[in-house]
Amino acid sequence: MSNMIQVKNVSKEFKKVIKEPGLKGSVKSLFHKKTEIVKAVDNISFEVEEGEVLGFIGPNGAGKSTAIKMLTGILTPTSGEIIINGQVPYKNRKKYVKEIGVVFGQRTQLWWDLPLSETFTVLKEIYQIEDKAFKQRMDFLNQVLDLEPFVTSPVRTLSLGQRMRADIAASMIHNPKVLFLDEPTIGLDVVVKDNIRKAIAEINKNEKTTIILTTHDLSDIELLCKRIVMIDKGKKVYDGDLDHMKEKYGKMREIHITLKSDNDINKLSFAEKFGLTGDDIDIALDGKKAVVKFNSSKAQVSELLSYILSTITVKDIAVGEADIEEIIRRLYKGNENDETAHGNAAAVEA
Amino acid sequence: MKWIGHVKRVYGGFTRAGAQGAMAYKFNFLGFFVGESLYCFVMYFIWKAVFEASGESIFMGFTITDMTLYVFLANIVGFLTNTDSTQMLAEEIREGNIIMRMIKPVNVDMSLLATEIGDKVVMSAFIFLPVMIGVEIYRYFALGYVAFNILMFLGFVVSVILSYILAFYLNLIFGYLAFWLMNIWGFSILKGSIIKFFSGSLIPLAFFPDIVGKIFEQLPFASMVYTPVMIYMGKLQGMDLLLAFGKQIIWIIVFIAIAKLIWRWAEKRLAVQGG
Repeated sequence: MSNMIQVKNVSKEFKKVIKEPGLKGSVKSLFHKKTEIVKAVDNISFEVEEGEVLGFIGPNGAGKSTAIKMLTGILTPTSGEIIINGQVPYKNRKKYVKEIGVVFGQRTQLWWDLPLSETFTVLKEIYQIEDKAFKQRMDFLNQVLDLEPFVTSPVRTLSLGQRMRADIAASMIHNPKVLFLDEPTIGLDVVVKDNIRKAIAEINKNEKTTIILTTHDLSDIELLCKRIVMIDKGKKVYDGDLDHMKEKYGKMREIHITLKSDNDINKLSFAEKFGLTGDDIDIALDGKKAVVKFNSSKAQVSELLSYILSTITVKDIAVGEADIEEIIRRLYKGNENDETAHGNAAAVEA
Repeated sequence: MKWIGHVKRVYGGFTRAGAQGAMAYKFNFLGFFVGESLYCFVMYFIWKAVFEASGESIFMGFTITDMTLYVFLANIVGFLTNTDSTQMLAEEIREGNIIMRMIKPVNVDMSLLATEIGDKVVMSAFIFLPVMIGVEIYRYFALGYVAFNILMFLGFVVSVILSYILAFYLNLIFGYLAFWLMNIWGFSILKGSIIKFFSGSLIPLAFFPDIVGKIFEQLPFASMVYTPVMIYMGKLQGMDLLLAFGKQIIWIIVFIAIAKLIWRWAEKRLAVQGG
């Protein structure tokens, strides 16, 4: 077996203090603390092959970060077993992290007050990289992530996009076998996002690095991952390839319309024209702005567009893709409807 | 002895980075220098008033010259052994940034220590040397002869390094409190007062009633300021000197052990804040 990552029945529980509201509650909690157990991650299992890029997705608070922290050896699971690169992450953290790279998009591992190049020098010593290997590595990262223009600037002066590129480079300097990228494109503009995606794809292709990627941006997933694991409320709700999920749950698209007159939207009848009913369509109206969400496996975007444009007068029209939250919402509905029919999805609480 | 080279390489990077970080804000030194000097002169005039009021030239074994030296030395030692480890650690715990240390193949405590040593080396060059030269010039004019003793000075330097490591780990233990309290502001004020009082940086421990002073001298706080100052002033010699070093080393071992135990316990029960 060439499984780089094996996760078996892993759970993580936290004790959470319940505070009653207001000052009275605060005072009360000083003397008598009520706690409850929260299951952040609930019996998750999956495997990742060497060289695979796995998209690890879920809504905010689903337990993604907790799971990543267990995979990177920071947190110890309450129960279950994790084996990555032949090691148990939380058993011998120092040895384990030598062969992994981690990027937490919302934090930085760079030295804030030093020129970027100094961070790499420090990392060179931490990982004990030989001079020659270090130089080769820097050349490669430079070429992929284009660090040259700001490598001598203090980190605190870098833009967010530059910082993220530098952070990814810093996580790759020691040639890790597994790379964990937690929201590597958060807060970046489209061009920078695109560059970072290309860099990640190239690193994966060149080095056969196994990558686990968490993100809220569906385009990240589409461009980088064949397979996704989706979790919600700490449980695994989907494990399989992206195309299958799209087929299964429909690919939701959105058409944003700015209307000329408020009533125009009522002139459109998607049910009659395209047979879009129930879950396959959702129209939200806010003043003159309308958002039409629909299942693009049931009707073509181009057909809908030409129908809208020929029926009513619009000021502006744009097409967008539904976000992960939307897919998860639909995944739920799908599971409730045919829980037994779907092989890949784990059981979901009703 | 291979591991020494290993430690030097791995953590040397942190030390160099710490030094460079300190250089990035070099104007801080000036403010710090002026502020601390003012404090020393205030203390000097207070003690001068005390000596004059007592009408005796020797007070509890200290002459006014001794006392002046003590004030400046206690201050410089306090400065050299002052450590930010409580705040650094507590802040990293509170903001969850400690995970950025944990994803590196390093010990959390050692990497913090190495970084701060880099910072200390730079600060010492800017502040320690000028103050020591000033102290020696004062001593020459007050006594009329050169009292500088290279062996005592080396003993002092070793003792200060031990003091610093001791202070670092004591403060680190306070920093770990943040795992439970999240915000440790109140406790770090308490800790600051305890250290100031028991370490002799406010009042020489020799001035306390005999039995109380003796007890205070056994506590770890005395090893942090009082011991190095007494060594420099030549008041600890022979067996007493060795005993003082022994006490410092024993306390260091005790505090490192406690810090490691807490860390091992906390690491397994860690809950990370945010994101």
